[in-house]
Amino acid sequence: MEFDELKQVWDSQNNELLWAINEQALHNRILSKKKQAHHITNTSELLLIIVNMGAGYFVLQMNLSSHSGNIFMYLLAAWMLGIAWYLLFSRIRRLKKDKQFDRSMHGDLNYAISVATYQVRLSLLGRWSILPIGLFTLLGLWESGKSAWIIVVILMFFALTTYASRWEHGIYKRKKRELEILKGKLEKEE
Amino acid sequence: MRETERQHIFENWLAQYMVIIFKVVRAYAFTTADHDDLFQEITIQVWHSIPNFRQESSATTWLYRISLNTAIKWLRKERKHPQPETLDKVEHVLQESRMPMDERLAWLYEEIYKLDEIDRSVTLLMLDNFSYKEMANILGISESNVGVKINRIKKQLISKSKKKDHYGI
Repeated sequence: MEFDELKQVWDSQNNELLWAINEQALHNRILSKKKQAHHITNTSELLLIIVNMGAGYFVLQMNLSSHSGNIFMYLLAAWMLGIAWYLLFSRIRRLKKDKQFDRSMHGDLNYAISVATYQVRLSLLGRWSILPIGLFTLLGLWESGKSAWIIVVILMFFALTTYASRWEHGIYKRKKRELEILKGKLEKEE
Repeated sequence: MRETERQHIFENWLAQYMVIIFKVVRAYAFTTADHDDLFQEITIQVWHSIPNFRQESSATTWLYRISLNTAIKWLRKERKHPQPETLDKVEHVLQESRMPMDERLAWLYEEIYKLDEIDRSVTLLMLDNFSYKEMANILGISESNVGVKINRIKKQLISKSKKKDHYGI
């Protein structure tokens, strides 16, 4: 073959696409992503509620039983309990909203995107709440006269947590984008 | 850029230029699982690239640049950390078209697949009529280097196709 013939052979694929999108496989992929998004959100949501509620009550109880006048520790307990209750109400709202999606491919995909969006918001909340928790903890320790090296260690711990939560937030954002891309592909197919 | 605008551009590009992505996937990935994987990777990168598209080049040039760069990176990663083949029955999103592929086109893809990663890109762009300047721009190599590569690849492909015709393979 001469080059012109090779070129003709090459151009022939412009009229007939090499592949088609397998809708069933796409739907199964969406279902698996939906299940994964639901599982991650459910677990991290419950974990955040339990941890904030437990830690908040623990700090409050400790302060009450020791008759401590450390205002920062009370603020820390109030913040954690506030976050826990906010998350609990958000969870109830989310579960109610879940019933709005139908079981079609679009419905499943929109549901997965909605859960992923919620997860992104949840991780953002977790990320930003580290700041007041860290601040109240450090001020509380300083107020109770703890040594400087303990404060430094705690500060490093919170810095590490902030970094890890930023990384985690990035993962959830990427997962959400993947779903939006899938939606784009699906809409292109129609 | 608003999300709806981005989504609109993305859908438009997929509808008009899917064939570019398919060509790159076919030239860089061999197994069906790899086709799926690379296709997914390229579409994700295309999505990410939309806010950076300044319309200084055409959409086809932009898509070729993103697709080829992603494919080259994907291939390097695959060589370093190959994914183990699974025996499980997996449903693939990309399904071969009902029409069997032209035998000569299948041969051409086989020959492209034998080339190194940069030569594959040059071949694809050459077959799709890109100028030396555009190719140099997309691949980040000099125009003279593109010229040398094209001459060599053209000669190689023509000679191999003649042998194929001669022996009736």
